[in-house]
Amino acid sequence: MKLSDREQDGVVILEPKGKIMGGPDASLLHDKLYEYIEHDKKQVIVDLSQVDWMNSTGLGILISGYTTLKNSGGELKLANVTDKIQSLLTITKLVTVFDAYDSIEDAIQSFR
Amino acid sequence: MQKPIINGNRITIPSDQEYLADVDSFLDGQLRELTVGESIRADIAISVSELVNNAILHGNKSSPEKVVTVEISSEPGQVTIAVSDQGTGFTEEQIDDPVADENLLKEVGRGIFIVRALMDDVDISASERGTTISISKSF
Ligand SMILES: Nc1ncnc2c1ncn2[C@@H]1O[C@H](COP(=O)(O)OP(=O)(O)O)[C@@H](O)[C@H]1O
Ligand SMILES: [Mg+2]
Repeated sequence: MKLSDREQDGVVILEPKGKIMGGPDASLLHDKLYEYIEHDKKQVIVDLSQVDWMNSTGLGILISGYTTLKNSGGELKLANVTDKIQSLLTITKLVTVFDAYDSIEDAIQSFR
Repeated sequence: MQKPIINGNRITIPSDQEYLADVDSFLDGQLRELTVGESIRADIAISVSELVNNAILHGNKSSPEKVVTVEISSEPGQVTIAVSDQGTGFTEEQIDDPVADENLLKEVGRGIFIVRALMDDVDISASERGTTISISKSF
């Protein structure tokens, strides 16, 4: 997995690419997410358009970020969820947890 | 053991998540050779990554003396993958239901649940000398 990150209109956008399977790739996503949280950036979008697949390790990181942000008055949202990940969210009932948007623009708008 | 060893349809790795990617590319190569389609390849890759993570972390407890073995076999239209560790075994009865309301926000505990959902067949054989989990999928 590769990870890029940026800020747009005050919102953090994390863009992982590839597969999130555990170990070094998962740490990368976790650490970047918590780096922003520590710097008090509390509106985060994870853009999943380039993620081939993830497993429960990836889901665990998303949940961890979601909970941490929520408890500190922020929010983690998903954008561009692919079919593969959508079915994983459905299987695990996490669709009922995460707010997901069809584009980065829509996700940013939702913070307004 | 310092590095992954590939022997025919089998890959053996040290108990370190650093080698997950080696297993994944080995698996992907084998599944492509069997002409397994992209979507099912991903479902199998997700499942094997769950089992290898478990074998490394829960089974072998990341012990440098222990290895994880992944073996692929096939018959027409079906592939079976067996993931083995050298831990002390386990029983599935102790696992909480990850989709129960009170567990939904837990960060762990949904690996085997996902494997069961994605695969056609899951067979767990555990003893005090280790665990082998075999998964099968039609393609
Ligand atoms: N190979 C294994 N050896 C020993 N215990 C295992 C093994 N695989 C799974 N387990 C047990 O089953 C539990 C559930 O596994 P899983 O569903 O993958 O969730 P997680 O790995 O997030 O805890 C683990 O916490 C562990 O106690
Ligand atoms: Mg697991």
